[in-house]
Parts: sequence; structure tokens; C-alpha cells
Amino acid sequence: MSTPELVTVTIDDRAVQVPKGTGLVETALAAGVEIPVFCYEPRLGPAVGACRMCLVEVEGMPKLQAGCTLTAQDGMTVRTAQTSAKAADGQNATLEFLLVNHPLDCPVCDKGGECPLQDLTFRYGPGRTRMTFPKLTFDKPIPISPTIALDRERCILCYRCTRFSEGVSEDGELVTVNRGAQSMIATFEDEPYRGRFSGNVIELCPVGALTSTQYRFLARPWEIQNVPSVCGLCPVGCNIDVTTREGKVKRVLSRNHPEVDEGWLCDKGRFAFSHPHARDRITEPLRRVRRRGFEELSWDDAVDEAERMLRAAGTRIVTALSGSETIEQAYALGKLLRQGLGAHAAVLPEETSTALDALRLPLSAIRDAELVVVVGDQPVEERAPVVDLWLRAARRRGAEIVTIGPTGSIQTPPGSAPQVCRDLAAENNELGRRLRGGQRSIVIWSGPDGRGGEHIAALAHALGLADVAGSGAFYLPDTPNGRGVADAWSAVADGEPADPEPIALLIVSGDEAAANPGVRALAERAEMVLAITMFQGLAVGWADLVLPGTSYLERDGTYMNLEGRVQRLRRTVIPPAPDELAWLAKLAGRFGVELSPHPSLVFEDVSARLFGGLAFADIAATAALPTRAKAAPRPPLPEPEPQLGGDGLRLLRYRSLFSGAAVERVAELQFQRPAREVEISPEDAAAKGIASGNEVAVRHNGTSVALRATLNRRLAPGVVRIADEHAGDLGARVEVGRA
Amino acid sequence: MPLRELVLEGAGERDLTKLGEYREVGGYAALERALGMDPGKVIEEITVGTLRGRGGAGFPMGRKASLIAKGSPNPTYLVVNADESEPGAFKDRQIMGTVPHRLIEGCLITAHGIESRSVFIYIRGEYLHEFEVMRAALEETRGADLLGGITIVLHRGAGAYICGEETALLESLEGKRGQPRTRPPYPPITGLYASPTQINNVQTIATVPKIIELGGAEFAKIGPQNSPGTAVFSLSGNVVRPGNYELELGTSLRELIYDIGGGVAGGRELKAIIPGGSSVPVLTPEQLDTPLDFDSIAAAGSFLGSAAVMVIDDRCCMVQLALRVSKFYMHESCGKCTPCREGTRWLVQLLDRLEGGQGTQADLDLLDSVCARMLGRSLCALGDFAVYPVSSYMEKYRDEFQAHVDEAGCPFGGESSVEGILAPVDQHSHHKTVEVPA
Ligand SMILES: Cc1cc2nc3c(=O)[nH]c(=O)nc-3n(C[C@H](O)[C@H](O)[C@H](O)COP(=O)(O)O)c2cc1C
Ligand code: SF4
Ligand code: SF4
Ligand code: SF4
Ligand code: FES
Repeated sequence: MSTPELVTVTIDDRAVQVPKGTGLVETALAAGVEIPVFCYEPRLGPAVGACRMCLVEVEGMPKLQAGCTLTAQDGMTVRTAQTSAKAADGQNATLEFLLVNHPLDCPVCDKGGECPLQDLTFRYGPGRTRMTFPKLTFDKPIPISPTIALDRERCILCYRCTRFSEGVSEDGELVTVNRGAQSMIATFEDEPYRGRFSGNVIELCPVGALTSTQYRFLARPWEIQNVPSVCGLCPVGCNIDVTTREGKVKRVLSRNHPEVDEGWLCDKGRFAFSHPHARDRITEPLRRVRRRGFEELSWDDAVDEAERMLRAAGTRIVTALSGSETIEQAYALGKLLRQGLGAHAAVLPEETSTALDALRLPLSAIRDAELVVVVGDQPVEERAPVVDLWLRAARRRGAEIVTIGPTGSIQTPPGSAPQVCRDLAAENNELGRRLRGGQRSIVIWSGPDGRGGEHIAALAHALGLADVAGSGAFYLPDTPNGRGVADAWSAVADGEPADPEPIALLIVSGDEAAANPGVRALAERAEMVLAITMFQGLAVGWADLVLPGTSYLERDGTYMNLEGRVQRLRRTVIPPAPDELAWLAKLAGRFGVELSPHPSLVFEDVSARLFGGLAFADIAATAALPTRAKAAPRPPLPEPEPQLGGDGLRLLRYRSLFSGAAVERVAELQFQRPAREVEISPEDAAAKGIASGNEVAVRHNGTSVALRATLNRRLAPGVVRIADEHAGDLGARVEVGRA
Repeated sequence: MPLRELVLEGAGERDLTKLGEYREVGGYAALERALGMDPGKVIEEITVGTLRGRGGAGFPMGRKASLIAKGSPNPTYLVVNADESEPGAFKDRQIMGTVPHRLIEGCLITAHGIESRSVFIYIRGEYLHEFEVMRAALEETRGADLLGGITIVLHRGAGAYICGEETALLESLEGKRGQPRTRPPYPPITGLYASPTQINNVQTIATVPKIIELGGAEFAKIGPQNSPGTAVFSLSGNVVRPGNYELELGTSLRELIYDIGGGVAGGRELKAIIPGGSSVPVLTPEQLDTPLDFDSIAAAGSFLGSAAVMVIDDRCCMVQLALRVSKFYMHESCGKCTPCREGTRWLVQLLDRLEGGQGTQADLDLLDSVCARMLGRSLCALGDFAVYPVSSYMEKYRDEFQAHVDEAGCPFGGESSVEGILAPVDQHSHHKTVEVPA
């Protein structure tokens, strides 16, 4: 890349050199000068010049200019309010106009104390009002969804929210209606704002017009702490600031990591933080007495009990991991069980492939790609939502995005992704040829689980993407830290896992493992079950000993996200029970295994084996991505598994973003959960005489599920799609008919 | 000074909405000639003819065409601004209603000149009749195989003045909310669908056939050197013979109002003249000899704008007129930028209080201040359009504003002639019920 031409700009008599074309707001910042803004937000696309807060004087131009719409040109001389009376008057006037119809109800406004309108009025605005007429009023607040409230009187019409909805999440649900002073923000057709990213508009809003229903009237900026951490609800690992007050989490804000999330969060990551306060949260150890009864026991007794169970089971233990444990937790479990007891058998959350390390890229590379091919059965936005935003950004920049799957731009039957990878790798495949020839080609595997990482890595290696700096591959895992957990577990010891039969003890680590039907089936075969979960609903009833689990918001430690980036979780609030590391360390001591209860020390141990000795303290608040590994010899493309035949329609189950133990426990998110629907292609619907909205029965082998049909034009014929939580016990082939 | 009809030529004698009649007066001969010319040559003739845009700003059309991005991977578009919504202006309506083929011929010549295959004509929604005339004419043109593969789309607006502003018009054409864009980028580089776009007013385009017919050099000899050609002046207000009159630019206000328009109605005194539609600064009777061309009117402190000349007699209350005009701009402000959205409403509130007799001296100062704080700070020119009338009325008729304070009310009361000048904004109908032709 050529280095950009540097230009010199003088702002308030300070000369500064910046690359030509740098925004004037950023140029001024480089010179240490503030150009105040409201509507300007480069992440939302080109400047719109709406609010006129940024008026500056530019030499050679008679009128004041909106600084946010200008870029640095050589020799430009700019004066802001600091050195130009005209610019100061312009900015002062903008604030006066903004306040003409603003209610100024700061004392009861959630934004008060962290409000750009307050701050800029204080710095640049008039001290008193000249407005003596009744102000415009609107009904307020209006719930535009169960999570967001809108106060139209406070709105300054900067159009950040509507630009986000139109140009970033591209849901188009937030719009402006009416014109002039009567303009107002509304949802399309007054429907609730139902999107995966709606909450970002709360943070974008520079005033208290869009507020979080979960945070309303709960705290003041001067009595809160913001703790930097990362989201633990999916493998993206968005960086967050967790707002706490008096030991409780009050909200989650984005914390811009330009390579990971660009400052966006999905609504699950933003709004699900209240799950630790769910009514069925387990705060004390529980022991099964009689058939379905439970009693609480003290921690000392619980650790004794666990020790007794472990000693009795010896090596005949199977450990089922969730992929939501921290690296340190997984390592500690491994140390106790593998080193202490020689119990190597584990059910790992998912398979991982190290071949991907040679194809590593930051997520932001997707935005800069020319061609992205996504293969797999699951929509990206359900598995790794923020990746969907990167894909949309890429498309807006002119990249071609090809999705190959049952709902893809190229439709293939469920389960065909391995075959697709083989086809793309073939010399004569047109799309493969273009991937191979590109400078910025990216391939992504988006479900189903299993050997996806291996398939996509083999494809990418076959296409030579490892040799091109801007090209690479991503595997979208099922769990937030599946790779970190698997790596930590395997780094502990070398012992060969032998499947014990019978299983003397099943250890269920975490909520996802507890909710996994495969793990439940193992529990049937196990003599004893020890579960670590957060909620009553998950393991109480079939575990013999339940130890309270903690949330990602309550732990210190590290996660590895889908890029392979190791990021710090911070304890934002104290958990209601000792965390996993604390009692694991105690238990380990009883088996002569030395284990620290401190994540930083455990990490040191792991890091020496996995991360080249990276120090805990050196993981930056915005963590770096390890450099690409050297390309190993090309892995062979795995054989696709044979496709099962049979009659009827293929059932494609998917896990909605808005599912899982945390989401189920947050009242405000219930409206986002998937409807009781079966999606069907227009062709199949027509053949069966089904219309959108019809009640239908979906049958398989004697089981029948009643659902509402909805037509999905993007769905391949011969396939129906149902959210996991509504699919019951249905098998892979189903019949659909009018109820 | 007699009429000098170039654009409306022949429409008085014949029904030029018919293709046959139009061809009999030489219609589409200029197109044929232009098609024999190199595209660059067509633009050169327009440049030599110094054709200045008739939509308001008077920007030379040839210069605009020369800015069209060359070598863009996207197609080039021609957009004709037929949204005419400025109070007082009704010239484009007459052009489309009586000489539609001249506009279509101008479109085809210009499209050839800028090498565009698609033309969009954005017609004010209320102009249903004119739309139908245009549609019929276009059908005929198509039937006679005159389009030469060029697509002309007629698009009806939905009743927003702001959609006459060229970038708001483009947004609206793209199906978005009609709000202006920031510039740069300018439409010749990034216009409709992010493609190079030439935008001109109806009359500008309808003048193009004449330039090709006469040759640019010959055309440039008509009227003043820097503003050659004619304009269709929409004369209205307290005048004996209101209507559209096509005259050479450079004709004086006096000639238009007195010789052609028959003077002030009812033998009243002339009080004020608005030379270019409701948005421009007002002129006084002492300025009657100002020639009506871009530069002379600018030198007199106003703008030729849309060449809509409004005559105001001595019965008119300037505060009432300012209130009417302000209500229009408040109603039509798109709401995108702060000074215009908030300022237009505030101005109305202040003027309303003044007219109602509750205004104070401080309100007068505030009016001045609000005008000054809006001027030159908005995103598009509408913000300034809302200020020019108020600030110029206040400057030139200060006594009248002062009298409203001193007498705690309007000296004119209900006797004002404002009704004959400008209809109140709530009378604007947007023809919500007319059937939209497919
Ligand atoms: C608020 C506003 C309204 C406008 N309305 C019109 C209009 O109705 N018709 C028109 O031709 N130009 C209108 N203009 C001017 C156009 O923006 C543009 O300058 C013109 O169409 C260019 O054509 P021309 O160069 O042929 O004059 C308006 C401008 C503004 C700021
Ligand atoms: S609601 Fe907030 S973000 Fe949206 S336009 Fe109003 S002030 Fe801007
Ligand atoms: S995208 Fe994933 S990591 Fe980011 S906020 Fe959502 S759930 Fe959390
Ligand atoms: S000046 Fe008025 S019409 Fe123009 S963009 Fe601003 S609010 Fe809209
Ligand atoms: S910040 Fe520049 S106009 Fe809003």
C-alpha cells in the first residue's frame, strides 16, 4: 500500500499534519482542538450535516461551514469557536435553536450527567433562554419496544438512530415521520422495534430521547462504575463496559474494539445482563435427598461430598464441558481431574481445528474483503451476530457476499456444507477460482457443528488463502469459548482418554452442558452426577450434587473468541457464591494437586503451554490478535458424511440468537424469542395448499407438533425450518399438513 | 417592450401539445440537428449561448454539464426539475401544459449532449393536468420513434416544496425521504443512484432546442450579455393583468408591471415588489427601473430566483405578509437541520405575536437576531429563503413593524391586501384523493 499524502492544516493557529482526506473533526482532534458534534458519527456512513453543531470558519469561504462534512486539504485554515467570534456565534446559535423546543428535564432524565447536549451547552451554548412560547410537546415516553423507550420531546433529530437502522443493521425499522419541527422518530408502522441490534441506538442517541427500559431511573453517572470486560454470550466476544451500582449490574455498554465489534453489540449481549438475578439462581450447594427432593448444604460439606464422589469414581469419570467456562476454569478442572485422578474422558463442547490458525484474520478484515463465501446451515446472525454487521458493512463497500446453504443466495440442502467445501476446492469451480485469485477472499463456516473448522480450514488451504495477507477463514463456533476450553483441557496432561464403562461419575460443567440432550443421555448411564450450574431449572432433579455456577459477568479470567483472540473477562460484581476456581483449588489440594484460586496465576500456567508465556497483565483492554501461524502442510479435505435419504421434508433446526438459559430469564427479551412457527418454501407451501399464517401439524414418527406456517422465500424447497425450542423431538424428516 | 417568445413560441396560435402541430412549426428539427452533432459540440453550443439555469440560482448550464464525471462505471442521468412549488411561480406549469414537446425535445438534445440514456422529469404532484399533457406528448413521441432509445420517466412528487431542491429531489426519486444531501459530492459527480447527474429546471431544458436552432453565438445576442435569452415571468399580486409573460431578460420591472401587466390594480400605490418568488428579498418602488436579469437584480440586493414577480400595493401589511411567507417555510422545512427546523417555527411564533398586538420591542430585536442566526447556517438554501423575506421586510418597512409594537396591534387590521398576494398555507391542498395513474 502506498503511504497517503500528508497535508498541513492550520486550526486555531495550530498547524497539524494529517493524511489528505482525514475528516476535519479528526484533524482538529489531532491538533488538540475540539469541533463539537452531535450528528457526526463516522460509523454510520458519510456525514449528513444535519445538526450544525460543528460550524467553523474556513478561510476563503464566506459562510460558516459544517466541519463534519469537510476533509483535510493542504493549506486549509480553520477557526473554531476558540478563535472565531463568528464560529462561536454559529455554535451558540445551534444550541439555542436545539433548546428552543427541548424540555430541559435534565433532573429526571437518565442521560443527565453523561449527556452531550448538556456538556456542549455548558461549553458553547447560551446561558439563558430567549424562548417565551409554549414548547412543542409529544406523548412521552413511548415504548418503541420492551427494551427501548422514546421521548420525542428530548429528541434533537440528529438521525443517528435512523441512520443506524437504515445503514448499519439495515433493518429499516426506525424512520422519521412528518417534517419540519413536527418531525419525529417512529418505528415503521408503529410496530415494536424488533431487531438483533436495536439497543445500539440507545448508546448512539446524544440525548435522553432513547433510553433503556432496564436502566430508566436506576442510576446517576456519578454513582456508577464502568468495568471493562467482554461479552460471554457468543464466540464474537464483543468488548463491553459493564455499569454497576451498589454491587449490581445495571447495564451493558459497548466498548469499541475496532477489530472485533466496532462498538456495536447485539441485543442479547446488551440486555441479557440481568440473568444472574433470576429467581431460580442457585446460591448454595444442593444435594439430592430421596428421589426428587433437594437440600442445601454448607460449602465445607459440599467440598467433602465432592471429594468423596471423586475418590469413589477414580478414573471412571466423564467431564462434560460447556464452552462458556473461562480458560482458567477449564484448565483447573483438567488439572484436578486429569492430573489428580487420571480421569481424562471429556465431552468437549465442540470440535476445533488448529489448521485455522494459519488463516487468522481480525473480524474487521471482513469489511475490507472483496469476496466472502459463507457456507453452512445456520444463519450467521443467529450464531455470531456482530459478524453479520461486518458482512453488511462489506456489502455496502462493494464486496460480494455469497451464502451457500438452505437459506443462502445459493440454495443447498441441509448438511451439504462439507460437499460444498469440496466443490469449491475443485480446480474447475468458478467461485472457487475467484476466491483463489483474489487479494481479499474470506470463507466462513456457519454451522452445523462437528468438523466445520476442519472443513473450512482445508478449503481455505486448498484455495491458497493462507498465503494472502488479506484473505483467510473463520469458523463460527457454537459456544463463546469452545476453543479456549478445549485447548486448556488438552494442555493439562497427555493421558489418553478411555471411555469408562460404566460411568461412575459424570461432571456437568456449566449451563450449556446441562441443557445438552447428549449430556442428559450420558447422565442416564452414570452412577452419579455432579453438576455446576447457575439455575435450578437445569440440573436440579437429575444431579446428585449441584454446585452454584457463576456468570461471565462475575468472573475474572480469559476467553478465546472465534478469531483466536485471548480477551480478559473482569469480575464486575461479586457472585452470590464462591466462584468455580475457589472451590476447585480447595478440592485440588485434597488430591495433592497444586492449583491457585487466582485466575492470573492459573493463566500463567496455561499461557506457558498455550500462548507463548503471554502475561495476564499484558492482555490489553482492547486485546491484540496473535499473528498468523505458519501454514502447516495442507490438511486433506475431510470426506463428507453420507446424506440421509428418506421421504418427507428435511427439517432444519436452528438455534435462535434469542435463546438459551440467560435470555429465557430476562423478561424484556421475551418478545424477541422465536415465534412458534415453521418456515416453509413457497413451492412446498403451494404444493401442500398451505398459506402463511395457517395452523399446521409437523409430524415425524408418531410425534406431531402444532405450529403456524410462515413462507420463507429464501428457504430451499424441500426444507422446513423450526427454531430448536419449538421443534420438540422431531427427527430429520417430517411431514407438514394443515391442522 | 414586446413579448419575446422562444420557449412559448407558437403556443398562442396553435395547440402545440399535439405532435403534428409542433412539427409544423419546426419541432424536433433541432433534435435532428443535434443528433448529427458530436455530444461535446452540443454542450459547447449551450456554453457559448451562456444559458443560465432558470430554476433559481442562474448557474450556467454548459458549465454544469462540463462537470459531469467522465469515465464513471455508472450511467449518466438527466433529471428535469419540474417541482415548481415556490409561491408566485407558475411558469413551468405553462411550459409543460402548452409546449410539452419543446421540453421533451430539450431533454433528448441534452441527453445526447451528456451521453445519457435515461431522463427523469420530476413533476410537482399537484400538477396533475400538466402531468397528463406531458404523458400524452411522451406517448406521441414514443409512437413516432423520436426517443432514439432514450427512456424518459415522468415522476410525480408528493407535495413537498423541498423536493424542488435538487438533492432532496434526487433522494425522493430514489424513493427516500425528501431531504437535501450535504455537498460535496455534487450531483454531476455523485447524483441519482450515486451516478453522474445533470439537473436542470424545465425552462432551462425547454430553451435548449432554440440554442441548437439559432446556434449558441446567435442566442447569446438576445438580451443582456451575461444573462442572455428570455424568461417566462409569472406576474401576480395586486396587478391588473397577472399571468405568464415571456420576455427578454433585461426587461425592466417597470415595463413588466406597468406596460405589460397594466400597473397596480384599482389604481393603488405600489408599495413593494418581490422579483423572484416569495423567497427573495423585497424591492421597493424606487427600484422599479431595475432590469430583470440575474446580475442586475443581484446588484439591487435581491435574486431573480424563479422569475416570479409579485406586486404589492399600499394596502398590504408587511407583517401579515411576512407571517404568511414564514408559515409557508415553516410548513415546508424538511426538518433535517437545526436552524431551519427550529428557526422557522420560532419566526412564526414571533410574527404571530407581533401581528396579534402582543409584540414587544424585545421581540423585534429577537426577530432580527433569529434571522441573523439562521442566515447562512442551514444545510440547504431553504433556511435562507425563510430569512430573506422577513429580514428584508423588516429592514425596508421597519416603521410598519415598529407600529405593530407601538399601537399594540396591526394598523391595517383586516383591510390588508395580503389575500391578493399569497394564499395561506393551510389552503395548500396536496390532492390526496386524486387517482395516481399507473
Ligand atoms: C428549497 C428549494 C426549492 C427549490 N425548488 C425548485 C423548483 O421547484 N424548481 C427548480 O427548477 N429549481 C428549484 N430549486 C433550485 C434547484 O435546487 C436547482 O438549483 C435547479 O433545479 C437547477 O436547475 P437550473 O440550473 O436549470 O436552474 C430549489 C432550490 C431550493 C433550495
Ligand atoms: S432519538 Fe436520539 S439518536 Fe434518534 S434522532 Fe433523536 S436525538 Fe438523534
Ligand atoms: S455479538 Fe456475541 S459477543 Fe457480541 S454482544 Fe452479542 S452475544 Fe455478546
Ligand atoms: S434548511 Fe430546512 S429544508 Fe433545508 S435541510 Fe435544513 S431543515 Fe431541511
Ligand atoms: S456534527 Fe456537523 S452537522 Fe452535525
